[in-house]
Amino acid sequence: MLGEERKTEETTLSQPVSGRLANPDIRDEFGLETIDMNMGPQHPAMHGLLRLILELDGETVVRCDPVMGYLHRSKEKISENRMYPAVIPITDRIDYMNNMAMEYGYCLAVEKLLDVEIPPRADAIRALMNEFSRIMSHIPSLGFLLLELGAFTPILYAFRERERIQSIMEEVTGARMMFHYIRLGGVKADLPEGMPEKMWEYIEGLENRLQPDFIDLIEGNEIFIARTRGVGKMSPEKAVEMGLTGVPLRCTGVEFDVRKHYPYGWYKNLDFDVVTDDAGDVEASYRCRIGEVRQSIRMIKQILENLPGGEVMGDTGRRIRPAEGDGIARVESARGEYAVHVVSDGSDTPYRVHYRTPCTVNMQLLQEIVPGHYLPDIMPIMGLIDPVSGAWDK
Amino acid sequence: MQTVLNLLEAEPIRLFLSFGVILFLVLNLAGILTFAERKVAAYIQLRYGPNRVGPRGFLQPAADVVKLFTKENVSPQRSDLWIFLGAPIAMFLPAAAVWLVVPFAPRSVVADLNVGIVFFIALTSIGALGLIMAGYGSRSTFSLLGAMRGAAQMISYEVPLILSLLGVIMLAGSLSFQDVVNAQAGGFWNWYFLPQLPMFITFYIAGVAEARRVPFDLPEGESEIVGGFMVEYSGMTWGLIQASEFASMALVSAITATLFLGGWQPPFPFLDLGNFNWLWFAIKTALIIFTFQWIRWSLPRLRMDQLMDFGWKVLVPVCLIWLFVTAGAMLAFPSVF
Repeated sequence: MLGEERKTEETTLSQPVSGRLANPDIRDEFGLETIDMNMGPQHPAMHGLLRLILELDGETVVRCDPVMGYLHRSKEKISENRMYPAVIPITDRIDYMNNMAMEYGYCLAVEKLLDVEIPPRADAIRALMNEFSRIMSHIPSLGFLLLELGAFTPILYAFRERERIQSIMEEVTGARMMFHYIRLGGVKADLPEGMPEKMWEYIEGLENRLQPDFIDLIEGNEIFIARTRGVGKMSPEKAVEMGLTGVPLRCTGVEFDVRKHYPYGWYKNLDFDVVTDDAGDVEASYRCRIGEVRQSIRMIKQILENLPGGEVMGDTGRRIRPAEGDGIARVESARGEYAVHVVSDGSDTPYRVHYRTPCTVNMQLLQEIVPGHYLPDIMPIMGLIDPVSGAWDK
Repeated sequence: MQTVLNLLEAEPIRLFLSFGVILFLVLNLAGILTFAERKVAAYIQLRYGPNRVGPRGFLQPAADVVKLFTKENVSPQRSDLWIFLGAPIAMFLPAAAVWLVVPFAPRSVVADLNVGIVFFIALTSIGALGLIMAGYGSRSTFSLLGAMRGAAQMISYEVPLILSLLGVIMLAGSLSFQDVVNAQAGGFWNWYFLPQLPMFITFYIAGVAEARRVPFDLPEGESEIVGGFMVEYSGMTWGLIQASEFASMALVSAITATLFLGGWQPPFPFLDLGNFNWLWFAIKTALIIFTFQWIRWSLPRLRMDQLMDFGWKVLVPVCLIWLFVTAGAMLAFPSVF
């Protein structure tokens, strides 16, 4: 009940389990008990609808059990009953902070079964929009981290950037969040007139604003360092063992990025670095995210410099009926490796679709890392994982 | 006319009237401060803040109060109702009562107690009681955690708060606020924040902790324990807790201004306004309140263990060292002091 096994096993906790209950003599003599606390699903810091069942010894967390499923919308089942192109808007709503990657993964998986050639311009635009979408997700997640630490202001700065990117996205795709832009065989429409210049202008501005608005304001702050350094610390072995991907993995020093190691689409032609950090704590994840925003800016500039011309839609035929078989695609979403497995039986609806979202896997971290930390440390650790409710429940 | 004035000056009537005026002032102050807080926050965050109710949004606090009064008071089913409902009152009254000894101007002080500073210390300590009542009476884990945090924090930060006052008391040689202010007469170079700079900073930080503001707002802890001790309150009970928070913030600012920044003394002797010197007091208090708000909207929150470390390992030693420095200086150069 008191989670003794967890305390004794060899762990990578940054702080030893403290408090009076750690000493069994005192505990038995005074009959002390732990408090059970139920955090969520309606809780401001739970990134949507997550419920944590906590066992507390004073302020120290002894046990933390995440309960998922409060935003389950049966995306996989719905996908089975829709025609192939009609599944794309469904995927949009899985990870609603980084929609473009969700569409991209599904389209890549189906295209493996289709006999279609993607025009180079479509590939480039896909990568371009994906990187915008990544910035759109990473910058607010920095804001969320600070919000959960108690600083309210950075989130508004972050959302200002998100709003500006959303306006660009709106001009390109017609929607601010649920884009439905990447289609089987290409993209919905070409970039509007003058759009590359507009994007270039925005990206230049963002590069200048990144330093004063997000780094100077946050990184040197004593309280920020005190609250994040050493919190949620884990070893690279542990991270690999848990199957983490994305920033939680890279901040421990493991260099893994699907875009780099299993390149897809236009990423083969791009020159970028995989951002890693060896500290493996919340502060490292913050630095990783900033670094990734910089890399995304670099990629967007490269794409805009060499934007190929031509069509943006391949010929898929009027009715999309992929060949029988399995199509698997993996892409790097803002939260980690996102994979889609489509099974086709030759009809015009998928036989089975499975979405492997990084949030579901990364969420294990809570159970492993949180015990031994203080209660307020749960919030920065959530910021390290940066999960999205829609993505872990699907 | 003169008889009426004499009647008003008669002791029990004067006290009741003054207390009424103070209560009116403090309740209004809470409303004005919520508005100020939201405007300051808005300008820090590049937005406008409330600007719809009344001219430039000035009537927003009034609308808020009407809303709070018309809301239903919901109490948890298993709560201890007397403690639950008593807590906001127990928090508000001490925060309002300390204003009785604050000197606003040369002749405007309700009760110039010769132990005014002790009165201030005693009454601010009672604030912690209301906090524990709120947390215990709500019967919620979140409230309980918030109350335990609050109790630990307020009692721990009482120590540097009191220690940092000792230097001023020694220099002024009196426990009366009015005497302390009078001792700082003759321009800003005579104010105590200069000889007592470490004490001034300590008092300011401990004051932020006493007023439970960011970065020391652990009892509330919006993002982890969602409001802490006041998570179960609604309607006017919540409003009263909020009012007491703002009142104690204003109080800490006023006391800081009185003890370290010369109270109602003008910064230069030629700017003396006589009975209107309360303007100086108001300006100083408002400036300190503004710095509180500035900090509130810029910094993240500390963790409980870091808060305790900071209080006991940094603030208390600084106070003790400076106390000895002050005492030594007073012994060595008795002619200066």
